[in-house]
Amino acid sequence: MAPLLELHNVSKSFGALTALRDLSFHIGEGEVVGLLGDNGAGKSTTVNLISGIHKPTQGHLSIDGRKTTFTCRSDSAEAGIETIYQHTALVDSLSITRNIFMGRELTDAFGFLRQREMREIAMEVLQNAVHISGIDSPDTLVGNLSGGQKQAVAIARAVYFKKRILLLDEPTSALSVRETEALLNQVLKLKAENVSSVLVTHNLYHAYQVCDRFVIMSHGTKVFDVDKADTTISQLTEYVVLT
Amino acid sequence: MAMPAGAIFLVFMALQIACIAGALIYPNEFRYLSPQNLTILMKAIPVLGCLALGAGVLMIAGEFDLSIGSVYTFTAVLMASLVNAGMSAFLAAPLGILAGILIGLLNGTITLRFGLPSFIVTLGGLLFWRGAVLLYNGAVQVRFDPEPAFSALFSGTVLGINAAFLWIILFVVGFHFLLHGHRFGNHVFATGGNRGAATAIGINTDRVKLTAFAIAGGMAAMAGILATARVGSVQPGQGAGLELQAIAACVIGGLSLRGGRGSIVGIFLGVLLIHTITDVLLLLRAPGFYLDMFIATLIVLAAIFNHLIERRGIA
Repeated sequence: MAPLLELHNVSKSFGALTALRDLSFHIGEGEVVGLLGDNGAGKSTTVNLISGIHKPTQGHLSIDGRKTTFTCRSDSAEAGIETIYQHTALVDSLSITRNIFMGRELTDAFGFLRQREMREIAMEVLQNAVHISGIDSPDTLVGNLSGGQKQAVAIARAVYFKKRILLLDEPTSALSVRETEALLNQVLKLKAENVSSVLVTHNLYHAYQVCDRFVIMSHGTKVFDVDKADTTISQLTEYVVLT
Repeated sequence: MAMPAGAIFLVFMALQIACIAGALIYPNEFRYLSPQNLTILMKAIPVLGCLALGAGVLMIAGEFDLSIGSVYTFTAVLMASLVNAGMSAFLAAPLGILAGILIGLLNGTITLRFGLPSFIVTLGGLLFWRGAVLLYNGAVQVRFDPEPAFSALFSGTVLGINAAFLWIILFVVGFHFLLHGHRFGNHVFATGGNRGAATAIGINTDRVKLTAFAIAGGMAAMAGILATARVGSVQPGQGAGLELQAIAACVIGGLSLRGGRGSIVGIFLGVLLIHTITDVLLLLRAPGFYLDMFIATLIVLAAIFNHLIERRGIA
């Protein structure tokens, strides 16, 4: 069976700067992949490529074995990819509910919001799917939340709009220990429901906890691709640090 | 969202109570509750109300329109001339609104296409359309004699209430549902609040802003219709300064100058407050300059208050 998402010999240049060189890897169905590498290895460029913000200079992406071109963010969303950014894409002056449903509002035939329904779903997602400490109401404005709470709202949004691939760009960097635990459990829970995740991080311990496979990048290309069963955390560290 | 509107509501109610008490204690000196005064208030509010609603939606989307005062005059002159040339007012009025919408779209297109501050683009619009009125019409007033049915619809009286006042109530309710209960409104708040996030999630922020520009232009034309139907003529200079009053009403009503925050109820309370204070000063026979000084103080106080709320993030 063709992998869910595959990058074929992808290169990306910004003028004279080559950010990615001949990068190939795949993500299988229900698989959690750790995309690892030090700062400047090209992880964020890869994320932007998969989420449709950048287009590859060379090479291409395929979904279910079919070649695809993403020209914007909504193309990748349509293909079932949800990206959670380092700097979360939330609007401070809107409530949690409105942020979760931003751009994908539940409405009647005339476009009027089904506010009560959205509020109930938001409450449900916040309480059961993502455990965020200190939030008691989905009507709270996002501007009043801490960095970790904001991230959790972004994750709640992805969780509710259950996607085939969750692309998490440094998701744990702003979270407390407890929130990190909750997030990693969330990734495993989604995996049980056959949702794949790509965990982009330089925290190897967080990655090792949940990932099935690791792709290690250095200087814009892949240097190591290994199943969890065939490696140890010290070997991974070696590859990240020494390549 | 609720906080500034809540605070402005308290201020408004306190002022009302003071005015009503004053009118009851001194019925002859302070004629606030006299039918004549209430009628004047009801006739005055809708014009600024329409302008402020349009300007407010655009402000929440993160842009300004300084040209609405000129557009208001231009579209009114256009409508009145068409009627004088023999066209039915029921056709001329929609054409005026269409002209307002097109001017709004033009402002928006220039702003977005070239990535300019709308402040500058619409400052150009302010001067351009003011000049266009003089070019087209000269500095003379234009009479407006529509068919009686048209006058009744926009300046008549229904159950003792001025028709224009009913129109503004209708617009306030309609805009409230559009902005706070409709998908479009959610996109307006998202676009003004964090354009990057709105784009990332797949909202077409250019289209949202363009629509908001069109609404601002269309509502300016609507204000022109209400004002012209009431007075029966258009003065070429009548719109000057109204754009600033409209923005002032929005700021008093709790809108952020950076966009993304505010409410329709707040905007309307801002309009009511400006007109109530104007009215009280007139009733007290205060010289005209007090009016400007009062409104100016109110705007700055409101802006400080909004800023404090924003900084604490409790809006």
